[in-house]
Amino acid sequence: MGDEEARAQLGRGLRIATLMLAVLTVDVLGLVNLVRHLGSHDVPAAQFGALATLTAVLATEAVLVVRRRPWGALRWPAVAVVLVAAASSYLTLPDARVATTVDWLFGAAGWPILVVLLDRPFRTTLLFLVAHELLALANLLLFHDVSRGVLARFVTGSVTVFGLPLCVAVVAAVLGRIGTRAAESTRELERLRTARAVAEAAHRRRTQRFAELNGTAVPLLAGLADGSLAPSDPAVRRDCAIEAARMRRLFAETDQVENPLLHELRHCADVADRKGVEVELDARGQWPVPPVAVRRDLTDAALTALATADSWARITVVGSAELVSVSVVADCAVRVAPPPAGTDVRVETFGGDGTVWMEARWQPS
Amino acid sequence: MAAELITAVIVDDHAAIAAGVEHWCRQAEPPIEVVDAGDRLADVWTGRGAEADVVIFDLELVPGKPDFAGLRRLVDSGRRVVVYSQHTDDATAIRCVDLGALAYLTKREGPQHLVPAIRAAADGREYTAPSLSGAFAADRTPGRPRLSPREVEVLRAWFASSSKELVAAKLHITVKTVDTHIARVRVKYANVGRAARTKSELVTRSLDDGVITLAELNEDAL
Repeated sequence: MGDEEARAQLGRGLRIATLMLAVLTVDVLGLVNLVRHLGSHDVPAAQFGALATLTAVLATEAVLVVRRRPWGALRWPAVAVVLVAAASSYLTLPDARVATTVDWLFGAAGWPILVVLLDRPFRTTLLFLVAHELLALANLLLFHDVSRGVLARFVTGSVTVFGLPLCVAVVAAVLGRIGTRAAESTRELERLRTARAVAEAAHRRRTQRFAELNGTAVPLLAGLADGSLAPSDPAVRRDCAIEAARMRRLFAETDQVENPLLHELRHCADVADRKGVEVELDARGQWPVPPVAVRRDLTDAALTALATADSWARITVVGSAELVSVSVVADCAVRVAPPPAGTDVRVETFGGDGTVWMEARWQPS
Repeated sequence: MAAELITAVIVDDHAAIAAGVEHWCRQAEPPIEVVDAGDRLADVWTGRGAEADVVIFDLELVPGKPDFAGLRRLVDSGRRVVVYSQHTDDATAIRCVDLGALAYLTKREGPQHLVPAIRAAADGREYTAPSLSGAFAADRTPGRPRLSPREVEVLRAWFASSSKELVAAKLHITVKTVDTHIARVRVKYANVGRAARTKSELVTRSLDDGVITLAELNEDAL
């Protein structure tokens, strides 16, 4: 973003500098030459008209620069107006004065053209500078006496008339290209940086996931593998069911869903469902998305009860901006201990007559 | 009155639902007689349907178009309505209660709630099923009545456990107190749902709802 800004600032600086050069050439040098040689002109009104026209174009540019606007639809009429002003000045020029200081506009007309076309591609600027040059040349060849001296004067004059604006146009084009490339490489750099950050985060998450499973799932698997835990033992089966649900929840945690808490509860319920437990899941209200750690504590109670449930379980969520409560009521023959929770979530267990009711509450603040 | 057989008419476009409800009602003790009106709301107004004590009303006879107007007409003409709907959203449930349905049940709720709801409705009493209780507990609409923390607690527990014995045991109160809390919530909702156009209407309703007693009224007058 800052890069784009720098680029815009660069363009604006160039625009202001070009405008100042143009004003200097048209309204200072041009005016001085016009006034000094006023006596030589046959139709002074046409000359002043041309000067006024060019000044008007430059004034428009000044306004556009201040308002930070491009030329837009005004661009081509402005170029045409400059060329018409040039033509009217050239056609009313006295004999044998082409490319002298009397021909004040010859040196000046290139600048307004450049001012109007500065943000266009270089070839456009070149095209119209050449057009102006040809206009002047045509005038010389058609309506004036052509001698070697006059031609030499015209050619030397052209070096500054054509060359100086052309130099600025080249600079503008080069600056534009450098700016574009700089912006491109910055974007590329940013993309690479983002990709690296994403990869790092993914790796961190995987390591963390593994660490989390390491504490509970790995000993269980190791026990099953070395035969110290018997799959026929109901306690082992329960632990396996809890771990399976925990893994499901872990995988569900990174899913992009609207309501992660319900999504994860659904995954926990699914594990019990496969075990043949009839699970009801119902939710009421709306609540803010709890952080992952809180969601784990909220779902842990449900997960434990579900793993122990014999035939049915009812999971409910009632939420608001002040309180999120996850309840699970299930027929658990054995009394289950509530899993330890963080400080943010309070878990209450209530049981009797083969029914266990666990409620986990979290107060968003 | 108690010895009389309760009759209910069911309007539901799903034949399986009507058959299921009929079966549950036959199994109930004492049994409840069910008249099946199919998907014809007109049958509720004529013949045996018109004589039934309770109307079991499927809110969405036309899918996607809950028939609140039909519910209002039934309530306005004094029928006792139990809404039995597949809708689980809170707003629909509360709207039905506002319109005067005595009970709102979702089709997930089986005979353990539907049968008591029909009996309560036949008596002119309200029945609050767990799903409706949850809707009350989670209600955050601007015009909702002010519930006490204890009432919200009871609503939430009833929704979570769907067993009043469990609620009572967990909150260390009696089942009767659980019912009282739930009934009070219904009164509060009824009071915001119905507009009292005149002072006498308000007094009548307060008497009806047991908010004030005749004795208290006489004391004030003195």
